[in-house]
Amino acid sequence: MTDIVLEDIRKSYGPVEVIHGIDLDVASGEFVVFVGPSGCGKSTLLRIIAGLEEVTSGTVRIGGEVVNDMRAADRGLAMVFQSYALYPHMTVYKNMAFGLENSKLPRAEIDRKVRDAAEMLQITPYLDRRPKALSGGQRQRVAIGRAIVRDPQAFLFDEPLSNLDAELRVAMRKELALLHTRIGGTMIYVTHDQTEAMTLADKIVVLQGGRVEQVGAPLDLYNRPQNVFVAGFIGSPRMNLVETVAASSGDGLSLTRAGTALAIPAVGGIAPGDAVTFGIRPEHIHLTDGEPDILATVTVAEQLGGETYIYCEAEGLPQITLHQPGQVLVSAGDPLKLAVDRTNLHLFGADGRAIANGLAA
Amino acid sequence: MTATLKERAATLAALPVEFLFRALETPLAFVQRLVGVRGMPWVFLLPNLAFFGIFVVIPLFINFAFSLTGGTALYPSDRVYAGTEQYAFLFDCENFADPITCREDRFWKGIYNTAVFIFFQVSFLVLFSLVTALVLNMKIRARGFFRAVFFFPVLLSPVVVALIWKWILLRDGLLNAFLVSLGLDKILFFVSPEWAMFWAIFVSIWAHMGFYTLILLAGLQAIPPDLYEAAEVDGTSRERVFFRITLPLLWPNLLVVIVLALIKGVQIFDEVFVLTGGGPGTATQFIVQYIYNTAFTQQVQNFGLAAAASVVLGTVLFVLTLTQLAVTRKRDNG
Repeated sequence: MTDIVLEDIRKSYGPVEVIHGIDLDVASGEFVVFVGPSGCGKSTLLRIIAGLEEVTSGTVRIGGEVVNDMRAADRGLAMVFQSYALYPHMTVYKNMAFGLENSKLPRAEIDRKVRDAAEMLQITPYLDRRPKALSGGQRQRVAIGRAIVRDPQAFLFDEPLSNLDAELRVAMRKELALLHTRIGGTMIYVTHDQTEAMTLADKIVVLQGGRVEQVGAPLDLYNRPQNVFVAGFIGSPRMNLVETVAASSGDGLSLTRAGTALAIPAVGGIAPGDAVTFGIRPEHIHLTDGEPDILATVTVAEQLGGETYIYCEAEGLPQITLHQPGQVLVSAGDPLKLAVDRTNLHLFGADGRAIANGLAA
Repeated sequence: MTATLKERAATLAALPVEFLFRALETPLAFVQRLVGVRGMPWVFLLPNLAFFGIFVVIPLFINFAFSLTGGTALYPSDRVYAGTEQYAFLFDCENFADPITCREDRFWKGIYNTAVFIFFQVSFLVLFSLVTALVLNMKIRARGFFRAVFFFPVLLSPVVVALIWKWILLRDGLLNAFLVSLGLDKILFFVSPEWAMFWAIFVSIWAHMGFYTLILLAGLQAIPPDLYEAAEVDGTSRERVFFRITLPLLWPNLLVVIVLALIKGVQIFDEVFVLTGGGPGTATQFIVQYIYNTAFTQQVQNFGLAAAASVVLGTVLFVLTLTQLAVTRKRDNG
């Protein structure tokens, strides 16, 4: 186990800079997830750590040692690729032993390590098979096994579950979490799936356009997003974000757009006339019989049995999503009176930065 | 405006095709009524089958029939049935490893020359193609240009290739001029049997290498880069990457290249015929040239013997082609 530190990492391809100065500390034994949309630079950052890409400037430290000029092989890391990168002409056993043979370990030692890892990952019956005779999930385990046998200082995962079907992905996600608990290694995991990020990570790094948008524990990011991008990216279904203009209203303020006006207490940093985006998660909008904040009409209702997702439209507003516990029996065209929970209301300024995450009740 | 012009141009360009389809519609509908829908694939195959039949299959049988006859007459009806006499004549040898002990020593000399040619030509062709493909697969400057350069000789006619090299290698050719400028003596490349064979092999490799390089390059590019990156992270040396990853994954393509090169090697004729004329003596006379000479250039045109030699050659090629098909099928099935 080891810590990994990135200091002002920049990466350019010709004149195009794709990573714009990233600083990051990954503590020893931590499970860190890089998450972001396609092209945000998360895989590039992982490959920089792995030694598969050179940095244009900045410093990469592994276990306190600067590794910028160190070969990938000497960094003591193991990587699990999106495609699994299993050697198709070798058996599972050979695949797992290949890296160990490079380090010229005694045959008996290699055999013990491979069989121990296979046992842990429940792939012992497949050791003599070739990768093409395995299912996607089994291939994934072999790829992880190949990483485990090397006893690396840290594990790097590049979207390892993206080639699996939805059901298998959930199962493998659970296994990865268990694996981390069992072997306790430092792990860096890249994904574009925020559910994977939320469920696996000790710490999430949200990236966009080659920059870190926010770093924090999953619930920190969920409850206290520092900007509109993180607010919209973390959480499924995504947070409702409505661009409004602030107006004075008695002692407080009113966030207005089209015919809707959301009354809020006065908030430092917001003056009448300011452009303000308010964000509210689907579970923090309630149905009310009293005075509504928003009058809406149901467009689609998804009944999942234990919970209901309602998608509705309101005049002049973008689509609004509600997440209600239990079975709420509404259908398309039904009018709804919606109340917004002020204690969970997020406010963002014109620059997209958070002004408040939750207001006083 | 531009879009409208483009659309008009597209409509105009499509007109002949549309006209053709409309013109074909009525006769094809009539044929379909006659043969039924299930018979239509045969109708579409018919032109090609007829062509293949007239120019390949029928000559094949005629050739076989000729191989069972003797005499010098050209028309089959005038020829005398000789049974397997021609084959017996070809295979009448005291020692097959020594052409001089054979009754038809020119045939065995042709086979011997072809074997030597194939051994060196195929070995070096595959080796050079592999090395070139490996280099062209690397991130080198002007990669596209070099890929085109190596493929260019493939586009040339074999006769043109041979003539170019003949001009270079002649007594007063470019190469000898260069040697003289270095203060060396001229070398009579086409007078020495060893040099003639060397240049026959060299020119053949030069002319065909691009094609095989292309096949191997395609094979190399089909190897996922992730595998190399995984090997890099695992600390695998370059030699081990080549022998344990690249070579095994390229092996199916390499086998195809070897078998194809063997087939082409056995058929070698035009380039060497123009370059050396089979000489000096019979030093570069290969099996196909033996067949050609026996049938057409000698005073007594021995069609029967040439046909029998063709059947022997055809059998060898048939076996090689079957091997190639088996190899390709194995590769395609992974």
